[in-house]
Amino acid sequence: MTENTETSLIQQRVLTFVTRANWLVFAVVSIGGFMLASLDMLWGILFGGLIVTVNFHLLSRTLKKSLTPSNLTSHNVILAKYYIRFILSGFIIFILISGHYVHPLGLFIGLSVVVASIMLATLRELKNLFFKEAM
Amino acid sequence: MEAQALQFFIACVTAAGFGIAVAAFGCGIAQGLGLKAAVEGIARNPESSGKVTVTLLIGLAMIESLCIYALVIALILIYAHPQAAAITKLFSK
Repeated sequence: MTENTETSLIQQRVLTFVTRANWLVFAVVSIGGFMLASLDMLWGILFGGLIVTVNFHLLSRTLKKSLTPSNLTSHNVILAKYYIRFILSGFIIFILISGHYVHPLGLFIGLSVVVASIMLATLRELKNLFFKEAM
Repeated sequence: MEAQALQFFIACVTAAGFGIAVAAFGCGIAQGLGLKAAVEGIARNPESSGKVTVTLLIGLAMIESLCIYALVIALILIYAHPQAAAITKLFSK
């Protein structure tokens, strides 16, 4: 296998892992919050997790449509989608915090779902790398 | 004493404003640099678009989350400061 193909495979594997891990980490954190934390905290985790996970999927779709040379979408459509996503996320977070609907710490935990799954993907790749080198 | 409480809340709002400004500045520069490099890479070698997009997506998600954290902290400082009630009570005595 050439180095180029191998890099491509690793990157595709990381993306698939992050996409699945997002939902998995979100489910685990939500169940943890449901069992251990207060209702406000649970709402924070649920809303925070949903905001970043949906954002990540939308960002992925937009980037694929905007950077794949065979079927490029118009710049205006991409910009409009970006700003709609950005304003909606900001507005939801603003309403949640200013109306005291959620516990800020819960929201913070929820918003860390994507970061946690990217960290997990990095750890997994590092583990693969070290095991591969050791063999 | 109430003036001190007011000063505290003015400081909170100022900190929130500067915090989100610095975060947006940093994240804007970082996203711009990442996007510039990705577009240059794809322009030189269009076949690599898939690989570049994956790396760019993960990088942008990480950078964006930093800005969202800053926004949350700024909103907490303005609207939901955890010690706001205690501090108001302390200064209003």
